[in-house]
Amino acid sequence: MSLPIQAAGLRRSFGDLVAVDGVDLEVREGEIFGFLGPNGAGKSTTVRMLTTLLRPTGGWARVAGHDVVTDADLVRRSIGVALQDAAIDPLMTGNELLRLQATLHGIGRIEAKRRGAELLERVGLTAAGDRRVGGYSGGMRRRLDLALSLVHAPAVLFLDEPTTGLDPMSRIALWEEVRSLNAENGTTVLLTTQYLEEADQLAGRIAIIDRGRIVSEGTPQTLKAQVGAPTLVLRVDAGHRDEARAVLSGRFGTERPAPTPEAIAVGLDGGAGAVADVVRVLDELGAELEAMELHEPSLDDVFAEATGRRLEGAEEATTDGDDEGGTEPAAEGRRGRRRRGGTS
Amino acid sequence: MTATSPTPTAAGLTRPVGPAAGVVPVALALIRRSLLGTVRIPATFIPMIVMPLFFVIAFGGAFSSVTLLPGFPTDNILNWVAPFSVLQGASFAGFGSAFGAGRDLENGFFDRLLLAPSPRLALILGALGYSALRAFVPTVIVVSAVLLTGATVPGGVLAIAVLLLAAMGVAVSAGLWGLGVVYRTRTQRSGGLIQVGIFTAMFLSVGLVPLSQMEGTWLYWAARVNPITAVLGMARSGFVGDVTVDAVLPGVGALAAMIGLLGWFAWRGFRRLEG
Repeated sequence: MSLPIQAAGLRRSFGDLVAVDGVDLEVREGEIFGFLGPNGAGKSTTVRMLTTLLRPTGGWARVAGHDVVTDADLVRRSIGVALQDAAIDPLMTGNELLRLQATLHGIGRIEAKRRGAELLERVGLTAAGDRRVGGYSGGMRRRLDLALSLVHAPAVLFLDEPTTGLDPMSRIALWEEVRSLNAENGTTVLLTTQYLEEADQLAGRIAIIDRGRIVSEGTPQTLKAQVGAPTLVLRVDAGHRDEARAVLSGRFGTERPAPTPEAIAVGLDGGAGAVADVVRVLDELGAELEAMELHEPSLDDVFAEATGRRLEGAEEATTDGDDEGGTEPAAEGRRGRRRRGGTS
Repeated sequence: MTATSPTPTAAGLTRPVGPAAGVVPVALALIRRSLLGTVRIPATFIPMIVMPLFFVIAFGGAFSSVTLLPGFPTDNILNWVAPFSVLQGASFAGFGSAFGAGRDLENGFFDRLLLAPSPRLALILGALGYSALRAFVPTVIVVSAVLLTGATVPGGVLAIAVLLLAAMGVAVSAGLWGLGVVYRTRTQRSGGLIQVGIFTAMFLSVGLVPLSQMEGTWLYWAARVNPITAVLGMARSGFVGDVTVDAVLPGVGALAAMIGLLGWFAWRGFRRLEG
């Protein structure tokens, strides 16, 4: 029995630089698999090897049941790929590009026309089909790129950072498209991303890659559960701060680094259910609770736990969201999901 | 062809892989894409039209007195420089294709081509087909210009056909040289290196003066071994006299040798690009 994507000891070096260092991967049929890591972690290099654009220097990989080196042509006939930069000829129209892509995949003219119309409708670009791509927005280009990757109805779809640089609305629209594609057609999707929220929202399973190695793998839920207790960050009046810090960390868990000197952060061993007890204890102390936030473990915490560093892209995701009106999903990406507490 | 074969999947189901693409449809589609690009940026026509005419005027003016040399094959300088100008323009056509491939490599469009299950030969033939088509432009422009200025073509229509064949061959050769370079450098910024190669080959030939006038200099030996000299002999044959087999055959042989050698150079570069 073969899996849609399978790799063992996959390795790629460029001279002395080892970009991918022994990646083992098993992606099951019909799942959306997230490949999460910062810039330069080896995500794109892995995808380029899996999609036959780059030869591995070690290990092996099979995609759609075919070896990526010895059966590269069969692999290409089975996969759809939307690469990071959405390289689309700006002088061509959406329709022309779809016809070219169909020809490249050996699809005849009549079938190409039918598929093109169907795919443009699917990604909401029917009205723009005869316009030159140079005039498309970033989101439209990404959607067209997705349509191009689907022209031959591939069994396996690779999406390399599909939403990088997109505004939050376009990002969410593309997520919806990937979800429905996976649900309706059963297409297996391997998605690379540096956005925590994207991996969290889309992927059934995630592999976290850093410095060319997979450092953690599992469902988002199990990965977060491995990190442990949620963190309660709160602020009380200055007169009770030291007392509250000592009592809370002694009674509810361990003190954690707080975002500001005025804040108190405690890892709640009892989970979110302990919040009510915390409030009661503060009340008994006579402390005035000014603000409180509960941080559930995020994939950034998972990454930090595995590597000792925070994910670079998380900052970018937050900035994107903030710059363009600020969406909760983007903000959540870095901070983990928050339950905001009121002040007492 | 739409040959399909089953792909094993985890659930034991089979899902047909996509069809295999043919060389000719893919090459034609890529030629069409290049033509669309040219048509949609009309400014690209300007150098294609102006440069060959500039060569005719510049070389015709600067070298007009060479026709007075004893034994010079024609008394009209236009008949001498027109074929050389056409071949210069054709070499630029080849350069243009390589430059386009470099741009595709830089912006990632080439990855789209490599990711498709198309025959690899088609990706090269598409670029070369466009080069060969573009060679029509300098041929038509220059021949029209010299005919309009009163020159006659002794070899008639056959001379123009032979000139066109030589122009297409030079365009393909220059394209292969350029593709070989950009496949290795993966950037259009290698255009300078490509041009150095093209200019060196074009000018170290009998482009401006006959071989007999170079005797005793290193240029003589350079021009003698330069295959462009034979191609020019072929291209010029109907412009300075009749088209003869003796003039055409060495030219065809030189073109075949250049295409073979530079084709190997380009193909090797392409294979490096793939891995």
